[in-house]
Amino acid sequence: MSVRDEIPPGTLHMLILRTLSRRGEMHGFEIANSIQQISGEVLQVEEGSLYPALQRVLIMGWVTAKWGVTTGNRRARYYKLTRAGRNQLESELAQYRRVSDAILRVIEST
Amino acid sequence: MWLDELWRRLRIMTRRREFEADLEEEMRLHLDLRAEDSSDPWAARRRFGNTTQIKEASREMWTIGSSLGAIWQDAKYGLRSLARTRGFAMLAVLTLALGIGSSVAVFSVVNTILLAPLPYPQADRMVIPWVIPPKYSAFAYDVFPWSPRQFRILRTLSIFDPFGAFKGGTFNLTGQGDPVSLKGVRVSYGFFPAVGISPALGRWFTAEEDQPGRDNEVMLSDRLWRERFSADPAILGRSIDLDGQPHTVIGVMPAGFAFPHAEEMPDFFDLPKEAQVWVPLAVPPAPLKPEPSELAAVARLRAGVTPKQAQAAMDADFTARLEREFPQYKGFFNTKLTPLATQMTAQARTPLLLILGAVALVLLIASANVANLLLARSLVRKREFALRAALGAGSGRLMRQVLTESLVLALAGGVAGLAVGQAGIQLMKALGPGNLTHLQEVTLDARVFAFGLAVSLVTGILFGLAPAIGAARSELAESLKESGSRTGGSASRTRLRSLLVIGEVALALVLVIAAGLLTRTFIEMLRTNPGFRPEHVLTFELTLPALKYPDQTRMARVYMNAMDRLRSEPGIEAAGLAQVVPMGGSPDSTTFRVIGRPLPPKQAEQPYGAYTVATPGFFAALGVPILRGRDLAATDTADSTRVVVINTSMALKFFGGEDPIGKQMDFANNSFPPMTVVGIVGDVKQESLGESPMPRMYAPVTQKTWTPLQTMQVALRTRDDPSVAAGYAREAIRSVDPQLPVSKLRTMAAVVDDSLARPRFAMVLVGAFGVFALALASIGTYGVVSYFVRQRTREIGVRMALGAGRADVLGMVVGEGVRLAGIGVALGIGAALAATPLMARFLYGVRPADPVTFIGLAALLIAITLAACFIPARRAMRLDPNIALREE
Repeated sequence: MSVRDEIPPGTLHMLILRTLSRRGEMHGFEIANSIQQISGEVLQVEEGSLYPALQRVLIMGWVTAKWGVTTGNRRARYYKLTRAGRNQLESELAQYRRVSDAILRVIEST
Repeated sequence: MWLDELWRRLRIMTRRREFEADLEEEMRLHLDLRAEDSSDPWAARRRFGNTTQIKEASREMWTIGSSLGAIWQDAKYGLRSLARTRGFAMLAVLTLALGIGSSVAVFSVVNTILLAPLPYPQADRMVIPWVIPPKYSAFAYDVFPWSPRQFRILRTLSIFDPFGAFKGGTFNLTGQGDPVSLKGVRVSYGFFPAVGISPALGRWFTAEEDQPGRDNEVMLSDRLWRERFSADPAILGRSIDLDGQPHTVIGVMPAGFAFPHAEEMPDFFDLPKEAQVWVPLAVPPAPLKPEPSELAAVARLRAGVTPKQAQAAMDADFTARLEREFPQYKGFFNTKLTPLATQMTAQARTPLLLILGAVALVLLIASANVANLLLARSLVRKREFALRAALGAGSGRLMRQVLTESLVLALAGGVAGLAVGQAGIQLMKALGPGNLTHLQEVTLDARVFAFGLAVSLVTGILFGLAPAIGAARSELAESLKESGSRTGGSASRTRLRSLLVIGEVALALVLVIAAGLLTRTFIEMLRTNPGFRPEHVLTFELTLPALKYPDQTRMARVYMNAMDRLRSEPGIEAAGLAQVVPMGGSPDSTTFRVIGRPLPPKQAEQPYGAYTVATPGFFAALGVPILRGRDLAATDTADSTRVVVINTSMALKFFGGEDPIGKQMDFANNSFPPMTVVGIVGDVKQESLGESPMPRMYAPVTQKTWTPLQTMQVALRTRDDPSVAAGYAREAIRSVDPQLPVSKLRTMAAVVDDSLARPRFAMVLVGAFGVFALALASIGTYGVVSYFVRQRTREIGVRMALGAGRADVLGMVVGEGVRLAGIGVALGIGAALAATPLMARFLYGVRPADPVTFIGLAALLIAITLAACFIPARRAMRLDPNIALREE
């Protein structure tokens, strides 16, 4: 089993939005799996934080949800990014890059 | 943006069930999918964590920033948990209902009487101007009436527009069925424009009609117009006979118009409770003869004039001017402008504020009691809260839960309180003094409802705060470790409960002491020697038609004849009349001079006393003892020596220890012939059984008098039931002159009883609140002491096992009760000592710090709290040490 790290607080909803922006409609389990796979199994998505975070982005109007059917023929709630969600994602990504670049520069300066 | 968000939140809230189901299903799917992924389904479940907590956390997301949904949820939860503990809920709601209900009832009275808008246009511009006496003087009133001379100056002042004067009057209506005595008001022509109410029919008086000789017009009240003139629409221009003189009806005032009202003005004006006629005042342009000061005034401030400017103008143009003219009376011309609203509520304000204060105390005690109940309950619920905390509820969440439950409780109490308030209003209407203006109009209106709601919310927060903070602070691990049946409270919470009970006992003591003082006042009033014997006395009022009896000689003759005629009735032992019988009104008062003794130059220091005109037999009829000398007699005629009878107070106060009989006195400031003192009578309570004795003099109706004689009050001492005498007394008066109207026919006992209505009202109301407070305080003590016993069950068991007797256990439990009650009583006595001087003006015959009342009621309170300790103490004594020890 590989080492798994907790997702830093406050970044989970950004990851959700990013995942949705790449793949279109997904349900909760797919979102969690997707984040884990893409991160190379480093980031572990706690279900305990996933669903509250999903409720939050839903309320903020960044995503919409509607019931659909999975490939395994099960009812599942599919989330989809809204225009507001895309704008939010872009501004948060820009800010995140700025900050992480800055942190990198500080860490790696000799 | 935020609007969209709000809308989404609202949508989630309104379709809550659906969203919960969605979340549930979504999470189940997640779990299933993970289980399929994994070899060990239980590991998947473990990984998923606490589903309840996730749901709770997800739900929190919906409600951040808009906790309406959560509050509704809390409220529902609260209702359910209250329904489970019905006994607790009923006790709490009942306590609150009584507390809130009595506040609502009292507030609705205050609302109607003190806060109701005045029925006059732009009433905030209306003022009642007064002369105020010098500060150092000891007059019974804090305002004085105006003299006609002063009125002539006032009406020229430009600050007023318009300005009107008025005084009470009695008019005999004849030629319209039985002769009837009408209560009315004489008003100057500025009066109606100043009041600002137009007649329903006709017009106001003109300036020309307000002159001596031209003043034969009259305006009728709506009720008189309907009852005496069958609402005749053609009444205008008709002539009616008032005091034997034709008066032209020029207007009818609208129904409900009742200005001025006797209860809203000082009682020396003798204004009607409900005026039936208004007649021109007709002050002559220049003084013709000595004019008594007997005018009241009403005015509007001219547009743009502030009250401050108006007062400044009064000081400059009135006070300064008169002080220049009469330097010897400097200090007697100061004025004040009382806003109409203040004037109209002045008489009712203080007693209502007293009752409002009492009811506020009751509400505080009720809140403390419910807080105590909630604290006790929160101990029982400690595990419930600990469990919820373990499941992830934050401390804010728990606090909100407890507060919401308190509010649910308070609102339930408030709803029940409105019902109690309605009952209380009915009770007050039934018990209230008839002369408390507008009492009968009191209802529960929107403002009272709003007040009830506000009181409920405030009390809910007040008594819910302590348990809420307790819930938020509850320590999780410790609470969970405790078992269910044994619930120990933290030391701080026990202290809080004790403090609440101490506060309740202290407040209850303040209230019962106030009630006790009012009760003693009432008893003292009943026990006091009024100076006369009201049993077997009948009284009524006679008013002479001015035209038929134009001068004093004729008036005196008919009065003397009427008294002789009454005395000839076999059922009548004694008969006499005077301007006012005791409790029938206030006589005129005057400064005077004892001839041969120096007169102090300052008017305020001169001898001062009441002056009443009477006939022989008046004292005998009332049972007033003649202590020295003789009664007024039929032989005191216009030609014989002018005589006067004085009372004990006057004899003791102004004659320097000498025998007053044979001494002469006169009115220092006008040319009135001196009178010789021929008798001394006992002091009589004149205006209230609660007054202190005042110097009084009585002059015969048959000699020249200083005051008008048109209206007199008769006192008859009858051999049997005075109400039986009413018939032949009326007959006797009719045989003297069929045109004389007999009014206010009542037994003296009823008159005295009426004068007690106000103190009785205050006593009953505050007394009821006091009893209620006592009950609440004893329930509170009972709760805390029971809790004390439960908490110490094991300790008591140990003690008993080690040989402690039942008496020791009893001592321990009762000792706890005594400790609480003792501290409460000590604090209460301190608070009462500070508070009771405020009610000094309601007291008679008892000091505000009356030791008997204080000690007696403190002892009573301690006894009651001890009785409340008895049940838990008995439980403690009966404990079986074996069982007690086994308790955890």
